[in-house]
Amino acid sequence: MARSSAVLVGVDTGGTFTDFVGVWPDGDCRIHKRPSTPDDPARAVLAGLEELLGDADADITYGSTVATNAVLERKGAEVVVLTTAGFEDLLEIGRQTRPDIYALQPRKPQPLVGRARRIGVDERMTFDGAALSSLTAAEIDRAVRRVTASRVGSVALCLLHSYANPDHERRLADALRARGVHCSVSSELVAEYREYERLSTTVINAYVAPVMERHLVRLGEGVGNRRLRVLQSSGGATSRETASHEAVRTLLSGPAGGVVGALAAARRIGESKLITLDMGGTSTDVSLVDGAVRRHTEWTIGDLPVKVPAIDIHTVGAGGGSLATIDAGGALKVGPESAGADPGPACYGRGELPTVTDADLVLGRLVEDAFLGGDMRIDRQRAVRALSGLARRLRVSVEAAAEGVVRVVNAGMERAMRTMSVERGLDPRDYVLVCFGGAAGMHACELADALGMRKVLVPTHPGVLSAWGAMRAPVERAHVQTVRLVDPSDAELAAAAAPLRERVIAELAAECPGARCEIEVSVDLRYRGQSYEIEVALGGGLRRRFDEAHRRLYGYADPERAIEAVNLRVAGAVAAPKQREKKQPRRRPRQRPPRQLWWADGWRRARHVERMEMPAGRSLAGPLIITEVSATTVVAPGWRASVAPGGDLILSRGRQGKRNGR
Amino acid sequence: MGGRTGRRAPTIDPIALEVFHHRLSAIAEEMGLTLCRSAFSPNIKERRDYSCAIFDARGTMAAQAAHIPVHLGSAPQSVLAVLRHHRLEAGDVVILNDPFAGGTHLPDVTVVAPVFRGERLLGHVANRAHHADIGGSSPGSMALAREIYQEGLRLPPVKIVRRGETDDDLLAVFLANTRIADERRGDLMAQLAALRVGAARLLELVDADGEAAVAAAMAALQDYSERLMRGALAALPDGSYAAEDWLDGDGLGRESIRIRVAVELDGGRARVDFSGSDDQVEGGVNANLAVTLAAVYYVFRCLAQADIPANAGMMRPIEVRAPEGSIVNAEFPAAVAGGNVETSQRIVDVLLRALAGAVPERVPAASCGSMSNFAFGGYDAARGRHFSYYETIAGGAGASAAAAGESAVQTHMTNTMNTPVEALEADLPVRVTRYAIRRNSGGRGEHAGGDGIEREIELLAPASVTLLGERRRYAPYGLAGGAPAKPGRNRLRLPGGTSKPLPAKVSVTAPSGTKIRIDTPGGGGWGKHKPRSQRSPKTTQRR
Repeated sequence: MARSSAVLVGVDTGGTFTDFVGVWPDGDCRIHKRPSTPDDPARAVLAGLEELLGDADADITYGSTVATNAVLERKGAEVVVLTTAGFEDLLEIGRQTRPDIYALQPRKPQPLVGRARRIGVDERMTFDGAALSSLTAAEIDRAVRRVTASRVGSVALCLLHSYANPDHERRLADALRARGVHCSVSSELVAEYREYERLSTTVINAYVAPVMERHLVRLGEGVGNRRLRVLQSSGGATSRETASHEAVRTLLSGPAGGVVGALAAARRIGESKLITLDMGGTSTDVSLVDGAVRRHTEWTIGDLPVKVPAIDIHTVGAGGGSLATIDAGGALKVGPESAGADPGPACYGRGELPTVTDADLVLGRLVEDAFLGGDMRIDRQRAVRALSGLARRLRVSVEAAAEGVVRVVNAGMERAMRTMSVERGLDPRDYVLVCFGGAAGMHACELADALGMRKVLVPTHPGVLSAWGAMRAPVERAHVQTVRLVDPSDAELAAAAAPLRERVIAELAAECPGARCEIEVSVDLRYRGQSYEIEVALGGGLRRRFDEAHRRLYGYADPERAIEAVNLRVAGAVAAPKQREKKQPRRRPRQRPPRQLWWADGWRRARHVERMEMPAGRSLAGPLIITEVSATTVVAPGWRASVAPGGDLILSRGRQGKRNGR
Repeated sequence: MGGRTGRRAPTIDPIALEVFHHRLSAIAEEMGLTLCRSAFSPNIKERRDYSCAIFDARGTMAAQAAHIPVHLGSAPQSVLAVLRHHRLEAGDVVILNDPFAGGTHLPDVTVVAPVFRGERLLGHVANRAHHADIGGSSPGSMALAREIYQEGLRLPPVKIVRRGETDDDLLAVFLANTRIADERRGDLMAQLAALRVGAARLLELVDADGEAAVAAAMAALQDYSERLMRGALAALPDGSYAAEDWLDGDGLGRESIRIRVAVELDGGRARVDFSGSDDQVEGGVNANLAVTLAAVYYVFRCLAQADIPANAGMMRPIEVRAPEGSIVNAEFPAAVAGGNVETSQRIVDVLLRALAGAVPERVPAASCGSMSNFAFGGYDAARGRHFSYYETIAGGAGASAAAAGESAVQTHMTNTMNTPVEALEADLPVRVTRYAIRRNSGGRGEHAGGDGIEREIELLAPASVTLLGERRRYAPYGLAGGAPAKPGRNRLRLPGGTSKPLPAKVSVTAPSGTKIRIDTPGGGGWGKHKPRSQRSPKTTQRR
């Protein structure tokens, strides 16, 4: 599928900047950033591509926030929902729970579609796919008339038990599509039991698809003959057409790019078991990669459930801009309130309140004149002033207060890292910590120590890893089918998976003609009577592998108990073309004055080097501060830093590994 | 300084406090995840009717992850009861469900384990989960009973695991007295697995930070919650506030059961006195003290508007007086199945009504006030197995000075999910024929109360059905001139077409093809209802 003359391009739209990475056929790698244009994201994307590429041909993969923002800002399309009669309110009832149990005025998320646009259809399937009450031609006509009368162009179709028999949904969709109505059909998107989650996914799709389609048509016109793909939440790319019609699959496109990029970077140094840490301004994303990215289908956006696969990412409401305060009970809190982009951390010159970034600066972790390559001045005196109020209330020195802020924000990140590893029965000591985003590298050694991890990787271009990851993403399709088989044989499962397999292969062949695709088939298993399943790859020893996984996750197994195969999942991928990147030239080291670094209760002298000046093949001992344009890395005492041949920065724990900083 | 917590003299500064808070709540949450994901009862796995907690060496609660508030404040009683009855050794697990010895109602089964390192007792871990059946006269164990003996198997605190060895005899007795033994065994395994996870994590914490530091931090965390609660109480206007409200009845002929409360707020303390409440009754709507405490703590936790970690410290500034032998502090051998689910809601209603006198701008009108419990069971010939099922159905939330009430939402003492229709129909011989919002069931007002739910289920096998509901007669009240909500109602339609109303609390046997329809109450309105022309656009009913 690779076209030898094309530049490989990854694009990632963030709140502040749109990032671009391009690799030319000769291996030349260029990075570009330009301010995002939130009112019309296409403007920044097209302008940036023009600046990066000129008239070069390109294969572009794009991490988009268009669908995400349409949901979060409630700016999606008008939608009509068709459901089984008697269940029109399902979207509003949800799971009948409130998100905050101690709210005197409980609130559920507002449904995306109001009562007047939720239409009941006279039909009923049973759980085994039999039509208890058939869908008549007259009823289809009636539904179509009501939809057309509403003049709404996007319909979400979700009938009870359609995962078991999609016939009624299909006939309704055929009739509506014949009239040019855009249909999101639950059995096509996610043929999985649990009606509310399936309905919610389908409605979100109907809500964002028209918006996404408009956006991608516009981008498509702008990029002309270049190939444009969109990154899905699962970390795989898909065609413009699929991303338009199944826009719900792109909701977490941006964060997915970061994890895909982390894995691609780690593979260069021969690692594939990672915990990734992306520390941004207001939040931090943590994910775990175990040879391959881990996906799940239990996530929400704005409290609305979505059942299509997404990379399992745990988000903590704390980042560099998070505010530090002392609450009414006398505990030091960091976040979730944030100084945001405006006024920003005190040291940026406008804010007065202390943030994590201010604490990092006070402790000497950030270098004033090397911030964003020296393009932006940060003011240590302002940071000291902002933290001195906190220090007075804590009755400690400003440095100790700053260290406290760091410890508290680290505690939240450590908790997220434990959730992703220890709570899933995985030992973090077997994993490499991969840091990206501007601030993660300043906290990496302490977090690694807290979890007993001995290696930290800071990839090249840590500030644009999401765009770089999008460029490296495989093209991917995935489908699911609820089967509900008790103690199934391997042959039964293989037979049940065959139609899904063919569908995935056909779709990939259409997207990447002639390419080799890898197919993975897995099954969600549980002990009969449970409600949560464990995904196990299809193949020999299925039962044994399930029992082992159950024991690892929950501490016990019950090999005598019947098991139930609930969902079959098929994912197919075509790898991104391999394009070698030229090594970045190292710069000649320049002597820099040592820095004062506060570490574990006292000031220490720390060396300061520019990342591009790190000597190849020789490691430097901490305490050490490594700066580059988009990030800062602090190498703690007891750690060493070296640069791998590909340019990746590797920190490793010395022999006497032990928790510190506590 | 700098927050170093050494092994000698642990100082718990604001930094260490917050770090420790993260660590301890993460443990409680991980226990909950283990329990929920590996359990078998719909009540646990789908509806999250469980809680997990960590206790210090003396048995005071240091952290809890509760998904439904009725477990808040009732969990501490369980560990205290265990410590009263037993000297615990490493590897022991005590099981209990006795409402008169640390439990709430019989389906809530609690397990407690000590955590030792060597000879040293470091603390305790516990979890409580609502099993789908615990025996008694009807499936789901929520039947109308006259005394606790009829409600199911009663377990005083007894060791089910001794020094790591499970007591198979006791387990056999437990399983023999419940309807779906295999499911009970699975749930119990999940509960024990959650204890193991909790104990292992607590040990890791002690290994990392040292025993003294962890003990000091557990104490500091309780003091922290106490400070937050005192601050929240001090922010309320001092004074005495009183109210009363009624339960519909006990289902056995006794109607209009009064609950009365007087609250005294005084500079960061609250005294809550239930004197004047009616005596305990014959039918199972009696609340034991644990349930009443849980309701009281819930109300103040809501009013606090701060994220107070749930532990024993939070409860210190609140003093509760509940006369022994009354409906809010029932004595052995009262039937209590409905105290936990229904009376707890009324205690919240009456307490909020009293506190509306203190902070009228913040307290909402009454919410639906009933969990509308629905249980059924029987033999499923098509699948060749017995079945037993229990669910609660949400209603409307009360409106307030700020906004209309939410519709179709679990309120106050519960927050359990519904079971998906597609899961229910695949597992049990039933069909859901209607599941909708009960329009206009919320009370009218300047802000309307939220609407209740209409739920109709058709039985596809003969079954024994139990309904246990409230607010079928005494409607959820409005405030500040707002109208009360529509009360709930239940109907039964036989296969032939005959239809009849069902009482709020009833057990019936019904043939295959019977439809049970439950309409749950809405929430009360707030403020006088104004004709459309006088309303500002913002205050119209939501949706």
